Amino acid sequence: MAGIRAKGVYKIFGNRPEAALELLDQGKTKGEVQAETGQVVGVQNVSFELESGSLFVIMGLSGSGKSTLLRCINRLVEPTAGEIVIEAEEGDIEIASLSRKALRRVREKKIAMIFQHFALFPYRTVLSNATFGLEIQGMGKKERSRKGMEILELVGLKEWADSYPDQLSGGMQQRVGLARALASEGEILLMDEPFSALDPLIRVYMQTELVRLQQEIKRTILVVSHDLDEALKLGDRIAIMEDGRIVQAGTPENIIVNPRTEYVAKFVEQADATGVLTARTIAKSVSVTSERPRELQAQKAKAPYFVMDEDLICCMDENHRPVTCFRNGKALKVKGLDSSLDDADLCDVVFCAKEDTSVRELMEARLKSSDNPFIVLSSQGKFRGIITEHEILRGILEKGRTDLEASEGEREGES
Amino acid sequence: MKKGRRRISRAARWGMVAAAAALAVLAVSPGICQRHGEDLFRQIGTRSLIPLEDWIDQGIDWVAITFMDFFDTVKYSINKINSSLLGFFEFFPVFGIPLGEKALAVPLLAILIVPYLWWVGSAGTGIFGFASLWLVANLGLWPETLATASLTLTSAFIALLLGIPLGILAGRFDMVETTVRPVLDFMQTLPVFVYLIPAVILFGLGPAPGVVATVIFALPPAVRLTSLGIRGVPKELVEAGEAFGCNDLKLLLKVQLPMARPSIMAGVNQTIMLSLSMVVIAALIGAGGLGGEVVRSIQRMLVGKGFVAGIAVVFLAIILDRATRTLGSHHRKTS
Repeated sequence: MAGIRAKGVYKIFGNRPEAALELLDQGKTKGEVQAETGQVVGVQNVSFELESGSLFVIMGLSGSGKSTLLRCINRLVEPTAGEIVIEAEEGDIEIASLSRKALRRVREKKIAMIFQHFALFPYRTVLSNATFGLEIQGMGKKERSRKGMEILELVGLKEWADSYPDQLSGGMQQRVGLARALASEGEILLMDEPFSALDPLIRVYMQTELVRLQQEIKRTILVVSHDLDEALKLGDRIAIMEDGRIVQAGTPENIIVNPRTEYVAKFVEQADATGVLTARTIAKSVSVTSERPRELQAQKAKAPYFVMDEDLICCMDENHRPVTCFRNGKALKVKGLDSSLDDADLCDVVFCAKEDTSVRELMEARLKSSDNPFIVLSSQGKFRGIITEHEILRGILEKGRTDLEASEGEREGES
Repeated sequence: MKKGRRRISRAARWGMVAAAAALAVLAVSPGICQRHGEDLFRQIGTRSLIPLEDWIDQGIDWVAITFMDFFDTVKYSINKINSSLLGFFEFFPVFGIPLGEKALAVPLLAILIVPYLWWVGSAGTGIFGFASLWLVANLGLWPETLATASLTLTSAFIALLLGIPLGILAGRFDMVETTVRPVLDFMQTLPVFVYLIPAVILFGLGPAPGVVATVIFALPPAVRLTSLGIRGVPKELVEAGEAFGCNDLKLLLKVQLPMARPSIMAGVNQTIMLSLSMVVIAALIGAGGLGGEVVRSIQRMLVGKGFVAGIAVVFLAIILDRATRTLGSHHRKTS
């Protein structure tokens, strides 16, 4: 498998890139450099590391340099400076120093690409389009057809093998583009706004398809997108670009919860955060005490530790694992979110969410169950916090930003 | 703001310079006339001061002598191609159906062309092709028509042989494009008769100079439309080709040429049509064929004969056009 490492990548468009680089070093902005030297800064000082098998989304408005950065990786655009390394099985490949011939081998075998407007060849059938990469590699016609049919089956277009691209809908055409990229078995997929030319419904469907396919194929994928919802849905990690720089990179939740600049904050404002925010982030932290609450004096329950929050009292064992809960003097059972229950029981249950349970899942659970708060547990089952409706609403509206608990999760995953 | 002001002042400055120059000319010219009498004034612009004529004459003479062998080889090759094509056309006999003292001519070619025209066009095109060739043969112009057709196709063949590769180069390299474009403009706008004179000097009389002049005249659309076609390939498709590891040759063969095919075939069609029109004019220097008939009719003021030959040219043009026009569209089944 192949990861990607980029360090200090620059792309300057123009005839005097050195002058522009120098000015950038002096801390001048993209606009200033353009005014002074006439050189256009495409990408400046971009570094990232991408694990093998992960999906990285590069986000930004048009003109932010995201497509240019993507093209630097397979050198459709020659980077002006910097280092891009593909960590392949047979050793690291330094992209920038490859000869034309070696670069073509890498493009044939390692890196495949998917384009915004599909870039299918109209005079070729679907099968012939899908096997284009194999044809360039010099594979025989028979083998290439066999392999092409396999890939078309994977993307669900087997029946369309002999059709031409203009007979297909947009979504199907992009699936042909995907098939073409998958056929050459490159471990790295570069996707340049792969779904932005599609209808909204098809787009969502294709995003889901990609997530499903990725489970199966486990490639290293870079997606360029200007749609934050898409980025949140697809990305293991997201980088947000502005004026050629990466202004913030991190996990989707990280970016939602802790936007580092005004620009990122504006992006994030409109996003649907419910699928990304986790219970960990929005949970209200409540301190655990060993002091028996007064309200429990009447009850027989024995427990070394307790948590109290408004009208909810939770009794825990010595490992901070919840055992039973009381609300308004009534005993409640503690159950996992995924356990199935009869409707009759619902009122007597407090649900436990895991730390990485998304807010959307909590909302769905809340719809189906009583109004008892949720208890958040760590992966070992330890008590972490409590979530009431108030926390959920605040999480959605304020994107969890004000919560102090979140700071723990923020630091990991930032580059 | 600042820029705009500067532009205005610059325009004003040039205006003043131009006005001053005009005033100077007006002031000086009566003086000249007075000094040299009215004769010189009349001669202005009518006497050649720069001997471009002589330079061109000398240049052509020099070229004709220095590269004699080369031109002889070209002439020989052209004549060979032309006579082979003509021989091929003449290989198909013209059947005769006796009709009193005369015979109704039915050329085999007129029959053979029907299925082809039907395939590229429609049944109607096929019928039209047969009818027009049959008519031409019975107007007594069959040999001339064949001669014109072979001259046209020879010229078009050579023009395409040179034009398409040149167009590919122009499409891929901006430098070639910027160099070639003005040359093509020159070739297309220079009055066509002008080519005929040096062609005769370099290649003598007969079909060869006619073909050469025709090639020069018919070359530009082949170059232009090929270049246009290659430049018109969407950037994303070129990127797709490159991203999957195409080298320059594969990119050309597998992406650019197939995508540019409609445009290139339009160029082929245009080249053939221009060849036909020029081949007729080339009859002025003895290229023969239908053009020869037209030229003879002009010399003897034979209205009917001229029109008949002209109509034959039109029929030939329509057939050649229909036969090559639809080649550009992709032949494939559609749902």
